Amino acid sequence: MIRCTVVGNPENRRVALFAAAVRAAGLPAPRVLPWLEVLRTLRDGGPGALPRFRPGEIVRLDSPGENDEVGVLLRDVEDQTRVEGGALWYARFTGAVRALTGRALADGARLLDDPDELAVLFDKRLCHGVLSGAGVPVPRSPTSGPGAPPVRGWDDVRAAGLGRFFVKPAHGSSASGVLAVQTGAGGRVRAVTSVERDGQGHMYNSLRVRAYDTETEVAALVDALAPDGLHLESWWPKAAQGNRAMDLRVVVVAGRATHAVVRASRSPMTNLHLGGVRGDLAEAREAAGPMWETAMSACERAAACFPGTLCVGVDLLPGTGWRGVAVGEVNAFGDLLPRLTGMPGGGAEGLDTYGAQVAALLRGTAPRGRGAATAQAGAREPAGAGDASGAVPVAGAVPDADAVESVPASGSVRAPGSGDMAGPVAEESGVLCGVPGAWRGSGTDVEK
Amino acid sequence: MSHYHHLTEFHGLPVREFGGPEADHTEVTDHGAVAWRLSVEPYGATEDFGSRFARFRETVELERTSALIVGQWDKSGVDPSEVLRLLEENRDRLPSLRALFLGEIVAEEQEISWITQSDVTCLLTAFPRLTELRLRGGHGLGLQPVRHESLRHLIIETGGLGGDVVRALGACQLTALERLVLWLGEEEYGATVNAEDLTGILAGTHLPALRHLGLRNSEIQNEIAERVAVAPVVARLTTLDLSMGVLDDSGAAALLEGQSLAHLHGIDLSYHFLSEEMAERFATAMAAVGVAADLSEPQDGEECACDVDGAEECDCAEFRYPAVGE
Repeated sequence: MIRCTVVGNPENRRVALFAAAVRAAGLPAPRVLPWLEVLRTLRDGGPGALPRFRPGEIVRLDSPGENDEVGVLLRDVEDQTRVEGGALWYARFTGAVRALTGRALADGARLLDDPDELAVLFDKRLCHGVLSGAGVPVPRSPTSGPGAPPVRGWDDVRAAGLGRFFVKPAHGSSASGVLAVQTGAGGRVRAVTSVERDGQGHMYNSLRVRAYDTETEVAALVDALAPDGLHLESWWPKAAQGNRAMDLRVVVVAGRATHAVVRASRSPMTNLHLGGVRGDLAEAREAAGPMWETAMSACERAAACFPGTLCVGVDLLPGTGWRGVAVGEVNAFGDLLPRLTGMPGGGAEGLDTYGAQVAALLRGTAPRGRGAATAQAGAREPAGAGDASGAVPVAGAVPDADAVESVPASGSVRAPGSGDMAGPVAEESGVLCGVPGAWRGSGTDVEK
Repeated sequence: MSHYHHLTEFHGLPVREFGGPEADHTEVTDHGAVAWRLSVEPYGATEDFGSRFARFRETVELERTSALIVGQWDKSGVDPSEVLRLLEENRDRLPSLRALFLGEIVAEEQEISWITQSDVTCLLTAFPRLTELRLRGGHGLGLQPVRHESLRHLIIETGGLGGDVVRALGACQLTALERLVLWLGEEEYGATVNAEDLTGILAGTHLPALRHLGLRNSEIQNEIAERVAVAPVVARLTTLDLSMGVLDDSGAAALLEGQSLAHLHGIDLSYHFLSEEMAERFATAMAAVGVAADLSEPQDGEECACDVDGAEECDCAEFRYPAVGE
């Protein structure tokens, strides 16, 4: 009998949706191992104190986003609408993943994710390098791969000589901290972003996309973002639907592009929570013509760079007039598209993204565990996983025996609720990875 | 909407992108039966405009080319003087050229106010048989007064148009011009045009054949409407287009109170800030004299960004913008 465990935030829809798909396939409800518990255990007891896994157990890692306590543990920032702390978040999250997957593998469990691949997926520079190296079409970038020079601030951005481009925090997601920058004749500069700064210079994600029109303002923002690592990417002129630029979120499960949504926006950020709207998939397919196959194939080739990962969400950028395509990003936790069923011909018709993953598991096409991914992934920090003792540096770990909480050997098993499948669809907000999880609305903080 | 999509047809011909070295045009048997489109990929350039034009010149029967579209010639900030030089140099090899679109660049490629143009007078002097000229982008655009006896359609789309260009147009002798469309834009995006600059055009002295006038996408749309309401040129028009701008009740009232518009076939005020009452009044008045009035796309204006909680008053109750700026 297949037994699944989900490492996630138990209150999150993602966990409930996956659990519902598992049960719908006639399998026992998965146990849920909360990230909060994993992180606290690592902090207080180190990797040796992690809960044990059962041999043959299938382990799915899900997003640690949208939970304030988890957010605080990962980047020491109280207000989850803040932009800063990406580098710390990355170090702690990938460290926790390595420790946890090391434990799971030592116990004989099987992973649907790969720690090295996750470390690449959560570093846009590395991800770009891997895709580019595999011949997947991507926008040009001067920060591609582990060998690229770091961007220390606006001066480095200027020196890159790009005309219209994106500045992206290396470890951000869902447009957090992203600037769409245009430079032109006579030193004209304009940046469109959801970042807002308060009087003390703190940066927040705002649901209101705004423009900064002076080089001084743009430089100050970039300089403030730079310490957490920046990725630069040339603008890729996208196709339009009506008067909105569009891109596609394509979910690839076990190598096949199964689900797709069109996101259309008047702002450079197509994320649905930033004013983007769902576009018309059938219309896009028609507009694409023969390029549709090229597009899906690019998504599948992008996903193939991560063979140890069962499911990724690929941001596919159709060029103006569908004359070409490029892959924008590959998202590790890009499957939150509730109730969306598979597109015709994708092999998951009638199933949601979670159902498609469970089906792949049952078919035997899911990753078999630590794959051949390591060589391709090219992560900056070679993995230390696979070692059951889990000598993984976990930032903030305090090896204080007195502080170790009692953790049951099997981990605390929480059955997920019946799931909020009837919840509002509008929450497919484009916050598909949830790092960090919160956005400021007008006046009030909005949890997305 | 044209500003967001590349044209598929121009000058009555299907558009054909010339493309990079890998492009194959062997199935285009009649090189005069398509509108050729030349552009480069500024965000992943493999070939610059000069090289692409050189291949174009080698590959295509230039003599038969009647319609040409030029898309992005470089990244933003670079003017098209190289493009103009190449066209001018090859004028004798382009005897059939009738229609030219310089700057067919959609918003995703470059927002309209980031397109850098240059003085385009040489296009009119080098191609006296041109019947259709379309330009996009107002930054750096220049024009000197000239006489041209073939041009029937002139369209200049900008997020901000210079007053000097508008004055020069008013001084041009465009004896065949039937259709003149200007997107005037806003100061924020480089517009220096004021209502006074329109005097020459609105007098119509040098535009004897004009049938359609579009003065669109302006932040001074009301002032324009006031001028148009008493402009001599209106008598010879069949259609008038004051759409896409910040037109409100005062501009519409000026039109109702001005000269008769009853001879027009249609008037386009779409994308406007008219009150429902005024829109109704205007529609009724036009219907009564058999003029088709387009009052679609009513706008509300954006709420102001000021924090009005507790503030005594905010004098920017709403922001109003023309349809295309940035």
